[in-house]
Amino acid sequence: MWKAIKDRETGRIRSNSFANRFKSRRILSLQLSNRKDFVSPHRGSVNSLQVDLTEGRYLLSGAADGSAAVFDVQRATDYEASGLIAKHKCIFTVDKQHDNGHKFAISSAIWYPIDTGLFITGSYDHYLKVWDTNTAQAVVDFKMPGKVYRTAMSSMAMSHTLIAAGTEDVQVRLCDIASGAFSHTLSGHRDGVMSVEWSTSSEWVLYTGGCDGAIRFWDIRRAGCFRVLDQSQTQLGIRPPILKRTAVSSKFFSAAKSSLGGQNRLKTLQSKHAGSQSVKGSFSAKASTEKSRQKRIHPGMLSTLDRATAHYGVVTGLKATNNGMYLLSAGSDSRIRLWDIETGRNTLVNFETGRIQTNKAIQLDTSDDPALVFVPCMKTVKTFGMWSGRTTLMLRGHYESVNTCCFNSSDQELYTSGADRQILVWSPGGSVEDEMVQDEVAEDKDNWSD
Amino acid sequence: MSVWNYAVTAQKPTCVTHSCVGNFTSPQELNLIVAKSTRIEIHLLSPQGLQTILDVPLYGRIATLELFRPHGEAQDFLFVATERYKFCVLQWDYESSELITRAMGDVSDRIGRPTDNGQIGIIDPDCRLIGLHLYDGLFKVIPFDNKGQLKEAFNIRLEELQVLDIKFLYGCTKPTIAVLYQDNKDARHVKTYEVSLKDKDFVEGPWSQNNLDNGADLLIPVPSPLCGVLIIGEETIVYCSANAFKAIPIRPSITKAYGRVDLDGSRYLLGDHSGLIHLLVITHEKEKVTGLKIELLGETSIASSISYLDNAVVFVGSSYGDSQLIKLNLQPDATGSYVEILEKYVNLGPIVDFCVVDLERQGQGQVVTCSGAYKDGSLRIVRNGIGINEQASVELQGIKGMWSLKSSIDEAFDTFLVVSFISETRILAMNIEDELEETEIEGFLSQVQTLFCHDAVYNQLVQVTSNSVRLVSSTTRELRNKWDAPAGFAVNVATANASQVLLATGGGHLVYLEIGDGTLTEVKHVLLEYEVSCLDINPIGDNPNYSQLAAVGMWTDISVRIFVLPDLTLITKEQLGGEIIPRSVLLCAFEGISYLLCALGDGHLLNFQLDTSSGKLRDRKKVSLGTQPITLRTFSSKSATHVFAASDRPAVIYSNNKKLLYSNVNLKEVSHMCPFNSAAFPDSLAIAREGELTIGTIDDIQKLHIRTIPIGEHARRICHQEQTRTFAICCLRNQPSAEESEMHFVRLLDAQSFEFLSTYPLDAFEYGCSILSCSFTDDKNVYYCVGTAYVLPEENEPTKGRILVFIVEEGRLQLITEKETKGAVYSLNAFNGKLLAAINQKIQLYKWMLRDDGTRELQSECGHHGHILALYVQTRGDFIVVGDLMKSISLLIYKHEEGAIEERARDYNANWMAAVEILDDDIYLGADNCFNLFTVKKNNDGATDEERARMEVVGEYHIGEFVNRFRHGSLVMRLPDSEIGQIPTVIFGTVSGMIGVIASLPQEQYAFLEKLQTSLRKVIKGVGGLSHEQWRIIQQREKNCGSEELLGWRSD
Repeated sequence: MWKAIKDRETGRIRSNSFANRFKSRRILSLQLSNRKDFVSPHRGSVNSLQVDLTEGRYLLSGAADGSAAVFDVQRATDYEASGLIAKHKCIFTVDKQHDNGHKFAISSAIWYPIDTGLFITGSYDHYLKVWDTNTAQAVVDFKMPGKVYRTAMSSMAMSHTLIAAGTEDVQVRLCDIASGAFSHTLSGHRDGVMSVEWSTSSEWVLYTGGCDGAIRFWDIRRAGCFRVLDQSQTQLGIRPPILKRTAVSSKFFSAAKSSLGGQNRLKTLQSKHAGSQSVKGSFSAKASTEKSRQKRIHPGMLSTLDRATAHYGVVTGLKATNNGMYLLSAGSDSRIRLWDIETGRNTLVNFETGRIQTNKAIQLDTSDDPALVFVPCMKTVKTFGMWSGRTTLMLRGHYESVNTCCFNSSDQELYTSGADRQILVWSPGGSVEDEMVQDEVAEDKDNWSD
Repeated sequence: MSVWNYAVTAQKPTCVTHSCVGNFTSPQELNLIVAKSTRIEIHLLSPQGLQTILDVPLYGRIATLELFRPHGEAQDFLFVATERYKFCVLQWDYESSELITRAMGDVSDRIGRPTDNGQIGIIDPDCRLIGLHLYDGLFKVIPFDNKGQLKEAFNIRLEELQVLDIKFLYGCTKPTIAVLYQDNKDARHVKTYEVSLKDKDFVEGPWSQNNLDNGADLLIPVPSPLCGVLIIGEETIVYCSANAFKAIPIRPSITKAYGRVDLDGSRYLLGDHSGLIHLLVITHEKEKVTGLKIELLGETSIASSISYLDNAVVFVGSSYGDSQLIKLNLQPDATGSYVEILEKYVNLGPIVDFCVVDLERQGQGQVVTCSGAYKDGSLRIVRNGIGINEQASVELQGIKGMWSLKSSIDEAFDTFLVVSFISETRILAMNIEDELEETEIEGFLSQVQTLFCHDAVYNQLVQVTSNSVRLVSSTTRELRNKWDAPAGFAVNVATANASQVLLATGGGHLVYLEIGDGTLTEVKHVLLEYEVSCLDINPIGDNPNYSQLAAVGMWTDISVRIFVLPDLTLITKEQLGGEIIPRSVLLCAFEGISYLLCALGDGHLLNFQLDTSSGKLRDRKKVSLGTQPITLRTFSSKSATHVFAASDRPAVIYSNNKKLLYSNVNLKEVSHMCPFNSAAFPDSLAIAREGELTIGTIDDIQKLHIRTIPIGEHARRICHQEQTRTFAICCLRNQPSAEESEMHFVRLLDAQSFEFLSTYPLDAFEYGCSILSCSFTDDKNVYYCVGTAYVLPEENEPTKGRILVFIVEEGRLQLITEKETKGAVYSLNAFNGKLLAAINQKIQLYKWMLRDDGTRELQSECGHHGHILALYVQTRGDFIVVGDLMKSISLLIYKHEEGAIEERARDYNANWMAAVEILDDDIYLGADNCFNLFTVKKNNDGATDEERARMEVVGEYHIGEFVNRFRHGSLVMRLPDSEIGQIPTVIFGTVSGMIGVIASLPQEQYAFLEKLQTSLRKVIKGVGGLSHEQWRIIQQREKNCGSEELLGWRSD
């Protein structure tokens, strides 16, 4: 550590790589925190966790007993064991006793991404409610056609305030907080929708995963879904092959060129198409090229591709990576898949999962440095390398199956919750800190015994 | 201090990050373009050396700098990209001598993670496209059209995630890149891709090479006709192309920079991490590469960029030491080195630590920095104003005037120094042993005060006393002629040049004499209405021996008048106003412009531009230099004329860019000065001050003066102890034998000579982390405390450290006591007569205890947990401000009654801290990892506990440099009665060598500067069309922090 600080002082390592290096070391030493505790007010399985996006300070939880609670992750409410264990009690809860409370289990609780003034809960009682944080009152509610499984809001939306809701129903609905009405109904899935996730690169793009095993991509400005992920489509051969060309033989080269002729023609067509759309920003232009290709190949998306599946069984969780380039999905086939968003292809990274809960939506999370995926695998939480799929950490602490992982990147802490009604904190450890603390406790004890 | 803080640059960035060579300013001229963090310097290669044409700031940190020549252009264009994803293409306009922005834009993306290994910006050698690697997994292409205009950019997916380097290959029909990358298993490979502009995608390229050297991190593309690429590793160098593969082993080294020597690319200069420079030669038969050869050339500063200029002259840019201009000789010198250093360019960066001291104890702050790294480490003494390096001094009381004289007018050096006292005149001369010795000039009167002396034509000397003017031969030293003042009219003031004498006697008589060969003729005599207070006939025309004009300052009507010689006709009369009489006037010319300087009795100085033909005075300006009467004298240093203003605050007046500038001289109270250019003391000045006569040389005339003390080691921490007049530093030395072994020391240095007095070696693996000079309660000794850490290779974080307490005895460090700690001691502070240490996550307070046997020890009193790493700590009273590694600033308070430390408030933002300082009781200053400065305010009147426990961010400013240290202090002399002296300031030092000052201003003054800044922003366009507003913004917020960068350096 001291060496890294020295190198940062002299400018030998960049300040951001210094931070990344330190973060990754902390993340790789995650363990059950012995200094921080959330006092869970929930009397049912905790189904949803989210840290607010503005300050990274308030944790929102939703549980099967119909209650939702907010915790301050920074400031403890009181301390135990001579100030060494910080107890975080919830700031407030809303439960069944509350006038506006949900009647059945809360399946999803999310923050309004712009500030902490609002949060949204979705419940098995078919309602989706928007709450004012300061007064703890429901301000808007939406009646859904069935049990609400998952809700999501776009963290980068500048021009809309839409809540995407996945329910028992085959249709995904977008609820507009501004008007209090449904703005979109997205049809395509053949069964209920367990997971919804907004794109992290475009505010208009939504990913949904259904009980039919399909993952669909939607551009909410256009009708219909523009892509269905197919687990059998891989990235192999996506780039034209190596040209067998040497500096000497130009004949060879021309031959190679002509063999590519067909492909080239196809691509010119597409680029023309892309040119007609005046989309600004290079990547989106690229993406739209891809989109238009999809449409061109599959008019109406009603052919075989429309039946493509991402998982055998139910898609239980979706998570788009922060860099906006990849999508992770979890399925009841106990598989985690990593998808390239731009091409929609399966990267075939083999994640060493054991069993994954099959009947319930789960919440995955990722960290950037190092690129890790946190996955609830029954009673444990496993972390995998995003590119290797290898298990880097096994976090054991829950007594029953884990539902959610929520990673707080500013503190490098992981919060998990499960059917055992607990919210556990996993913090970087293995450092001298604990030894020092223990020593001191020992010292203190000595002092008292005198 | 207030919330209104203003950041000013005192020293621009000095570390060279990029450089390139090309024909930028015109097709025939060769230019060196150097990037220094946020600045671009354009130099012209001329027979005299490098000549700076332009030095401009860029509103952004420069990430890449490339010269390229689009089709159909005669000269090169400059491509610059900043770390915040802005780019611009600049062109030099020869007519107006300024930069024109050809193109600019934003290349940021919403997707992708910024690269860890730094941004890459490259240009296709055939100028078909610009390639950028800014985010992991993406390669951005900006194509050129046929006319050399930039078209819309697009991204291509790059499957390789850990990209180390990308370069365009030469001689390819389609633009082709070579990518050096590391895979999941940490193996390194090179792959090539063709860029297909039509498809906006890659096509697999002609070749690839797997499993390279594990340290490979640099690609050098080889131009046509050889083509291919050189892959520079730590142990091998590989040449690779579609049909050839050659490799040679090298001595283990990390190559940091390269420069191409020949246009055909057969020779390259490689600079490594230890400052060695190698020549790499590709041997070839026609177009077929037959092998590689490498040869050690010599040692330079540790290079960050190498640019081969011409004729074996090479620019070595460094960010760890001084940049150099070197010449590569054909034959090695005695030490076997082919490198000859022609010139050095001062680099302060990286400023790892510094302290502000007042070594001369005159209220003038100096900054002593720990600069440079590794073998190029040094201490630098930075001060405002000009220093005099004392060569010799004699005790002499009551000096009333001094002049130097030559033994013959053609001689280069001065021989005599005439020193005048109230009732006698003494003549000093250099003897054979180069000592000043009293001598005699027979023709001079030595029993009276001399009013003026000068060399005169025909090998004569002239002496003016109160009743006569004497002309003496400088060879025989005998009196040749004299002029006596009329009885009853004593000469009051007089002046002379080589052929003229002008004097004024009581009653307002002005007498003009001319000097001939042995003759002294009274040419003109006029009677003025008042007494004359001062005069001058310093020649400013073409003839250095004869002046056309005379300037005369008057009593009573307080005016200055210009007369034409020899007729003494009055042509100009300028009323000075006020009630203070002029005490010294001087005619002088700077950079071809004539000035009249007029110094008043109260320390003010007036300057006018003088029209030599009409005698008209224009552009009157008034500045305050001191509080006592000023005496003006010209002198020359480095073949330029300057004026020395002797007073209680002596100053040098010089001209730069046709602007008069005033620089303080670091001396107290100088009564007289004269240039004394003797053989033994060339280019020296004789200075009379405080009862002594000093002969010394003067520093280079510039605003900020930097003195370098090379120590050959990497100094990490510095601290000054006033009582013992010493500095202590923590430093480390890399063992030349083994790669990663370092030796750490605590060294004691003399505060005057900067010599090592004493050294305390630390244990193996023990690093010095912090140093402090302090004293404790009930003990009047002053100690040095050093905090250390044992950095063991197998540990991530140190688990053991020490606090060492030293006392300085007879110039030696004596260890008094040591205390073991459970971690690295990142920071030490004196705190209420105790010692406050930051040890890993903990803040720990130690008491200084007297043991029964009379020895002393540190005993821990209390501590505070709850930080990630408490890296930076400052204290004030009972308050402790902690800058955490990643948790911004928190405020702790020590409770005396309970003997405990508690947290009072914190800033909940997740700032990765780089430095903290306390501005006042409520406001704290921090610098973070993202090159920002910010201030937070303690919330004293919050209604709830929650509000009081949260610190509010009150000011933010993007400084664009990584700040390593803040210290209270000032570089400007603090005058007790001036307003400026009351403004509290904080100095900061950065990695790029920039030194800045943050001043807390009253709100009105801040508002004025802010307004000025806004107005300037409208007038001054940033280079490359980059916006100043956007550059300084941190996350769309900018409050209460301004900067002077648009204003230029204000001279008080």
